[in-house]
Amino acid sequence: MSVPFFELQGISKYFARVIANKDISFSIRRGEVLALLGENGAGKSTIMKILYGLYKADEGRILMDGKEQKITSPKDAMKLGVSMIQQHFSLVPAHTVTENIILGNVRGKIDYKKCEEEVEQLAKMYGFDIPVRAKVGELDIGVQQKAEILKALYLKANLLIMDEPTAVLTPQESDKLMEFIKNFTAQGNSVVFITHKLKEVMEVADRVIVMRNGRVCGDLKAEDTNDIELSRLMIGKDLVQPERNFDSAKERTVCLSVKNVTVQHKKESPLINNISFDIYQGEVFGIAGVSGNGQEELCQVICGALEAGSGTICLKGKDITKDSIKDRIAHGIGYVPVNRHRDGMISNMTLAENMMLKTSYDRQWLKGGLINENKLAGYAKQAIDDYQIKAPGPDAEVKGLSGGNQQKVILAREVDIGKELLILNQPTRGLDLGAINHIHTIILRERMKGKAILLVSTELSEIFRLCDRIAVMYKGSFMGIYKSEELNTERIGLLMAGYSYDKEAAN
Amino acid sequence: MDAKSRDLIITNLLAISAGLVLSGFALIFLGVDPIAVFGNALKTIFTDKYTLGDVFLKATPLIFTALAFAFTFKANLFNIGAQGQFYMGAIVAIAVSLKLDGLIPTGLLLAVVCLLTFIAGGLVGGLIGFLKARFNANEFLVSMMSTYVVLALMNYLLRTFLKESKGEYPQTDALTRAAWIPTLVGGTRLHMGFVLAVLAAVGVWVLLYKTPLGYRIRAVGSNAQAAEMSGINSKRIYITAFFISGALAGLAGFTEVNGVQHMLIQGFNTGIGSAGLGIAILANANPIGIIFASILFGALNVIGNLMGRMPGINIPSSIIELMQGCVMIFVIISYYARSYMDNRREKSKLKKVEES
Amino acid sequence: MIINLLNRALLMSTPLLFGALAEVVAERSGMMVTAIEGIFLVGAWGGFVGSYLTGSTTVGILMAMCSGLVVACIYGGITIFMKQHQVVTGTALNILAAGFCTYFQRVIFGVPTSPLKITPLANLPIPFLSGIPVIGPVIFNQNILTYIVYLLIPAVYFMLYRTSIGLTIRSTGENPEAVDVAGISVNKIRFMTVLLAGIMGGLAGSFYSVGYLGMFTSNIIGGRGWIAFAICFLGNWNPRGAVIGTLVFGFAEAISIYMQTIGGGEYFPNEFFIALPYILTIVLTVSRKNFNVPAKLGIPYSKEN
Repeated sequence: MSVPFFELQGISKYFARVIANKDISFSIRRGEVLALLGENGAGKSTIMKILYGLYKADEGRILMDGKEQKITSPKDAMKLGVSMIQQHFSLVPAHTVTENIILGNVRGKIDYKKCEEEVEQLAKMYGFDIPVRAKVGELDIGVQQKAEILKALYLKANLLIMDEPTAVLTPQESDKLMEFIKNFTAQGNSVVFITHKLKEVMEVADRVIVMRNGRVCGDLKAEDTNDIELSRLMIGKDLVQPERNFDSAKERTVCLSVKNVTVQHKKESPLINNISFDIYQGEVFGIAGVSGNGQEELCQVICGALEAGSGTICLKGKDITKDSIKDRIAHGIGYVPVNRHRDGMISNMTLAENMMLKTSYDRQWLKGGLINENKLAGYAKQAIDDYQIKAPGPDAEVKGLSGGNQQKVILAREVDIGKELLILNQPTRGLDLGAINHIHTIILRERMKGKAILLVSTELSEIFRLCDRIAVMYKGSFMGIYKSEELNTERIGLLMAGYSYDKEAAN
Repeated sequence: MDAKSRDLIITNLLAISAGLVLSGFALIFLGVDPIAVFGNALKTIFTDKYTLGDVFLKATPLIFTALAFAFTFKANLFNIGAQGQFYMGAIVAIAVSLKLDGLIPTGLLLAVVCLLTFIAGGLVGGLIGFLKARFNANEFLVSMMSTYVVLALMNYLLRTFLKESKGEYPQTDALTRAAWIPTLVGGTRLHMGFVLAVLAAVGVWVLLYKTPLGYRIRAVGSNAQAAEMSGINSKRIYITAFFISGALAGLAGFTEVNGVQHMLIQGFNTGIGSAGLGIAILANANPIGIIFASILFGALNVIGNLMGRMPGINIPSSIIELMQGCVMIFVIISYYARSYMDNRREKSKLKKVEES
Repeated sequence: MIINLLNRALLMSTPLLFGALAEVVAERSGMMVTAIEGIFLVGAWGGFVGSYLTGSTTVGILMAMCSGLVVACIYGGITIFMKQHQVVTGTALNILAAGFCTYFQRVIFGVPTSPLKITPLANLPIPFLSGIPVIGPVIFNQNILTYIVYLLIPAVYFMLYRTSIGLTIRSTGENPEAVDVAGISVNKIRFMTVLLAGIMGGLAGSFYSVGYLGMFTSNIIGGRGWIAFAICFLGNWNPRGAVIGTLVFGFAEAISIYMQTIGGGEYFPNEFFIALPYILTIVLTVSRKNFNVPAKLGIPYSKEN
């Protein structure tokens, strides 16, 4: 048996409140595509960051071609031919593609012309279409990722580590990436890609390492395993899917009516381009699409954070187009934002305090001019019980809760506020399967209560599991509104990338 | 008492001691025995009623300026202009007091002056808050510059409209006893203003932590984006927070003019703005902690003065700033020490759980 | 007479420009040097002490740079490596610096009967160039510090925009993670820019005592370190803006002094002229819309987020 390219032996890493990695051992072979599979928080990013020199292991050692290596910084890793592409790109948006690629790789005076030519040559060699003089912040996410990959290639990487690379790509772009990976490894290089998506693993990986709670719990050849086994290894048990009761029929009253809404800033292409749709009571209306195509803006226009340039929005027949956020909250619109830390909660306040974030003006919390703390605590305790939130109590700071539990707090609050309409923007992003399951159960429960629910998601499995009707959003417009059964992955993929498909021809 | 609170008290005491020890070294350069001098000063504070009273007297304006900085700090805003808002309060205090001195009963006069200084300081603060809300002006710079502007205004008024009848020096006439804040403890200079300061601190605490407005201010301060998305008008909060902040600093003008100086002269209490900032930091912007930290700084002030008056040795008054600066630096370092120890503790807890 | 005024304006701009350029470089890497006022002050004091005790202004200026460096070292250590709040730490250091300088001025020199004086830096007219009509006497008849600052402007510009280290510095302020991932120590870069600010700030401070007034008083800086700080902000974080901003303020300050000396007090109160630079700062701060704030300014960097 040949010596593996890289080998990790007994690596452990402790952070202040969590064991990120415990006794991790596995090897990476030359010419191999290795998938590092696990739920969020399993420790996959951490172990790779140790290999790349961003973190220092507390225990264990790293070997390359059989010899032990000391990797104390990314510079050491890069010398060994290791390059890592982070989940949230480490690019400087304000600088050009070239400037980003040469960062840390030039000395002294910079000859911009020469560097730009070099980068352009490299891009051509790999078939990447990248404008090397453009500012990164102005590029599409797919192109930004290509820039990140180009940076690794510029450094002549032999081992490419990619952290959740397909998170922001359309199905077609993901396919192209998989092709690149296959070609790259065919030349004798290795790729490790970190993911939580089973489908990708089965598609392109040679071997799979499954991690759970910071430990390796599976090291298998991809051809020897399947979805179900991998899923079981990932979460440690079998998952019970919620029942979906799709009795259509009954009379359908319109709850939310959006007509010809456009949001456009001067001299730019419209963020929302003449969108119209209705959501009925007791319906889950899904919006699929790669993030960045106007979904967030659409949610913001409905909840009041963004002003519509033209068009109307009506809730149960009442025109709310000009209403403030505060008023819309009073009308019964709940909103779970995609960026929960930035928009949905206040990290260093307590659970109870976060529960009153949107209703601080209400009389219900007042007693003699002061906040009625008992009532608030009781309300919070109720939410903890109803939503099975793992927290010490209503006085716990939310920043100490796990991502899933934080999302449950926000959900508890918004479900209560959203008595008519509930807007959910990627509500299960970054959560582990158990929490995702629970949230899906809650969504279906609220649907049964007769609420109108708007669900924006980039996870197609989630869209198909929960939605009655689906709209696909591309560059600010709806490519179409379809019944759930009219679509499949391939068709949605085309729509998400901007290709319309002829319904009649397809059927 | 849990480990965290224990850490807090021990590290704070260590920090204060370290700061004093370091400034004690400075005394050696003057050929003075720091231990003897400190000991002497402390003895005087605890045995002489007048000196002890002065500690709380000096603490009073510091409580107000510290509250002022802390209040806006909770909204993630920086009011560096407390000194200027204090000056504005002082100007209004002396002007109104001189006009009404002897015309209306003391109680009423003091109430009116108190209210007007509150509003005057509040208007200066509110203006800064408005510039921030309306133009997104950097309030740090605007508030800092505003102090110099108000100072210039005050000097101008002292030279012209407010100038004493004698016309000799740039200062105002003195107030008669009818406009003085009554003494709190006989035999000292300590006046009721201290009680007002403590009440203000308690009031700020209640406002910030027990009322919806305080909740909204803290929400905006922690995460303005989330607050806006939740229907809270952050711009209005900016103006409100700055108004209250400026008003608190303005009250220091009332207590210093009517309670201590009984007139307005140039160059008095020039450091209470920045000292107040430092105190707010030490107390981590907690209003109750501010009361104690202000008393500490008041004590440092008095110690410095006592040292300056000790026969034979000439300790300059700048020793006070030196002591304050040293203590502040060490307290800031103690924040780091505490988080470091906390991390170590958590990591070892984790390792213990693993081994079992 | 106008020429005199313009000459003065350039003169008063010098320390502000040192400070503003230093602040620009530091802020581009993400550090607000809020201790700048204290750095100016220790520079003024160190410069005075050095010049007075050795009789050499060169020694004084060197001492000024060292003093600034020491304060910057403490500031950098606490804000970068201990990750403490920048405004808080800066304020503490400013108070400490004020106490330290005033106190040790007394320790070293006691209470003199008349203020101690040193000969300030002489003007060094550059031969031939200073003869050019109008701009000659304005630009080329200054002291050595001003000539140094002339050279510093293109140097800082070149460094920031045309060299690798400049690209790294700018990236550190925009997205420190990108720099970290490239294997460069974010903290080292930031510490370096802070130390540079200490040296240049100390130099700036020395201007007031050694270069201009020829003596030291405890309020010799009077907020001008903060004006340099403001200029960085108002100049949009680049050297060109710093130059323009500094010239505006230098001019305002020159006018202020001029009006006071010729007795402009007849038309406007003196205090108005004293307040002029500060009012100007407020007006400019309000009317400016910041475009180019370094994205991560003021936020300490830690890997484990």
